[in-house]
Amino acid sequence: MSFTLLKTVLKKNWTLLLIFFGVLTMYMTIMISMYNPNDMEALTSMLKMFPPELMKAMSFSDMVTDLTSYLASWLYGLLMFGFPMVYCIILGNRLVAKMVDNSSFVYLLSTPNSRVRIIITQGVYALASVALLFAALFGVGVLVSSFMFPNTLDISAFFRLNLTTMLVNMVVMMISFFFSCLFNETKLSLGFGAGIPIAFLIMNMLGGASADAEILKKLSIYGFYDGVEIVRGAKVWGVNLVYIAAIMILFTAAVLVFRKKRLPL
Amino acid sequence: MIEVKKLTLKYPSGKGVFELDFSVKKGEVMGYLGPNGAGKTTTIRALLGFMHPNSGSCTIGGLDCSSKAPEIQKTLGYIPGEIAFLDDMNGNEFLRFMHDMRGTKDTDRQKQLIEMFELDPKGKIKKFSKGMKQKLGIITAFMHNPDVLILDEPTSGLDPLMQNRFVELILREKAKGKTILMSSHIFEEVEKTCDNVLIIKDGRIVKESDVQTLKNSQRKGFTIKPADIASASQLLQNAGFEVCNTADDAIEVFVTGENIDRFIKAAAQFTILNFDVKTQSLEDIFMQFYGREGK
Repeated sequence: MSFTLLKTVLKKNWTLLLIFFGVLTMYMTIMISMYNPNDMEALTSMLKMFPPELMKAMSFSDMVTDLTSYLASWLYGLLMFGFPMVYCIILGNRLVAKMVDNSSFVYLLSTPNSRVRIIITQGVYALASVALLFAALFGVGVLVSSFMFPNTLDISAFFRLNLTTMLVNMVVMMISFFFSCLFNETKLSLGFGAGIPIAFLIMNMLGGASADAEILKKLSIYGFYDGVEIVRGAKVWGVNLVYIAAIMILFTAAVLVFRKKRLPL
Repeated sequence: MIEVKKLTLKYPSGKGVFELDFSVKKGEVMGYLGPNGAGKTTTIRALLGFMHPNSGSCTIGGLDCSSKAPEIQKTLGYIPGEIAFLDDMNGNEFLRFMHDMRGTKDTDRQKQLIEMFELDPKGKIKKFSKGMKQKLGIITAFMHNPDVLILDEPTSGLDPLMQNRFVELILREKAKGKTILMSSHIFEEVEKTCDNVLIIKDGRIVKESDVQTLKNSQRKGFTIKPADIASASQLLQNAGFEVCNTADDAIEVFVTGENIDRFIKAAAQFTILNFDVKTQSLEDIFMQFYGREGK
């Protein structure tokens, strides 16, 4: 870890984080404000007008009545995958491949810092920024709910929901980061670093839409858990551990691959 | 200080450098010359540890360039052939960043260099002209007072005044005993600064020589307008000189340094109407090597 580098990376990338935090805060606030504890029936009946396959693809559950499950279904079923995914793809590519592609990485290596040290610093920033994003969103959720519907949000369940969602997004972050370390060209780094997470998201949606394709959801990293189930008290420690293992494996692989490879600088 | 032994670094395209063998001693300034695509930058990539060689080895100060790159960097200054800085920084921020990353103690030398090259490091680097970026690259490479300098076309984009400043800087560093490997296309710069030159072509070293010997091997061309062209040619050819007929009434003879006296004495035997000397520049000598083996 190099703190000088970490500081510089933060300075260069905090606006990106802020933009995504801003957009997700907006969605969170709108979603919470749309919740009507007395009128979930109306919402449910409105949902019935849409084809049930579409609703399932979006992971929207019509069984929810409480605020926490409502958020788990409506916000954490798709939006909290899709938007952070875009963030992960952009940041992952920026941290390594883009700098190698435009040769500016040479200046990081023109210092007495090893490749491993530099890549670990970049990776730590990537993970820390995702952690920060979800910590902040958790805070926003708690604050906005307590302001609009005091004592309605199950904070402990909402925390567990955010924790697992954060972990799956960290896996996505590390997928993008790994390909950013593997390839010297932005084109390839983005191709794989974006392609694979998008494929997982599509698999999750298709798998949700039809019982025949359910296997797709099971194979997608997004489909390892059900947000509404977490809120209802389901234990997902196994899933969390799988995510943590995936994060560590991808991070290690990224460092190893970068340590050995030829850099066209 | 810099040792390259049987270094081979191949690209998938089949290009690269092959079986390079050379060394740069402490306090020596080595010019590294060759046409575009000959393998200069590839050699430098191996020296900086950006690419691990297929076979052979290179070391700087006894440290292996691939495995000990961070340690080597403590005493190494590098100017990349194609300079790209970190986006969105201004010049001062970048210099401070490099300073902190290296853990350098003082900024006196940085200030001196900024003055020497008349750089205004305030604005965004993105908006810098090519020459200004090059100046920033030079300052970055020299500001931590490194013992070894690897410079890839260090003066590209600089105006003639700044090119001279750069030559001054190199000479000053050389006087301090710094070891320098410098690739360049500017022969005047090489002539002024380098002790020795390496010429690389198609990934192989085709010539290694000191600049003085290279200069001695310079041939002078004499254009002579004799009264009687046939007998003059005959006389010179008998004396063992190479004679070309350049015009109807003139001949051209190329003579190396040690044969000048013999040539003058041979030419004294016939009547000369006009006489002209053409000096072959160092550039012409390099051109011989650049062109050779290519076809």
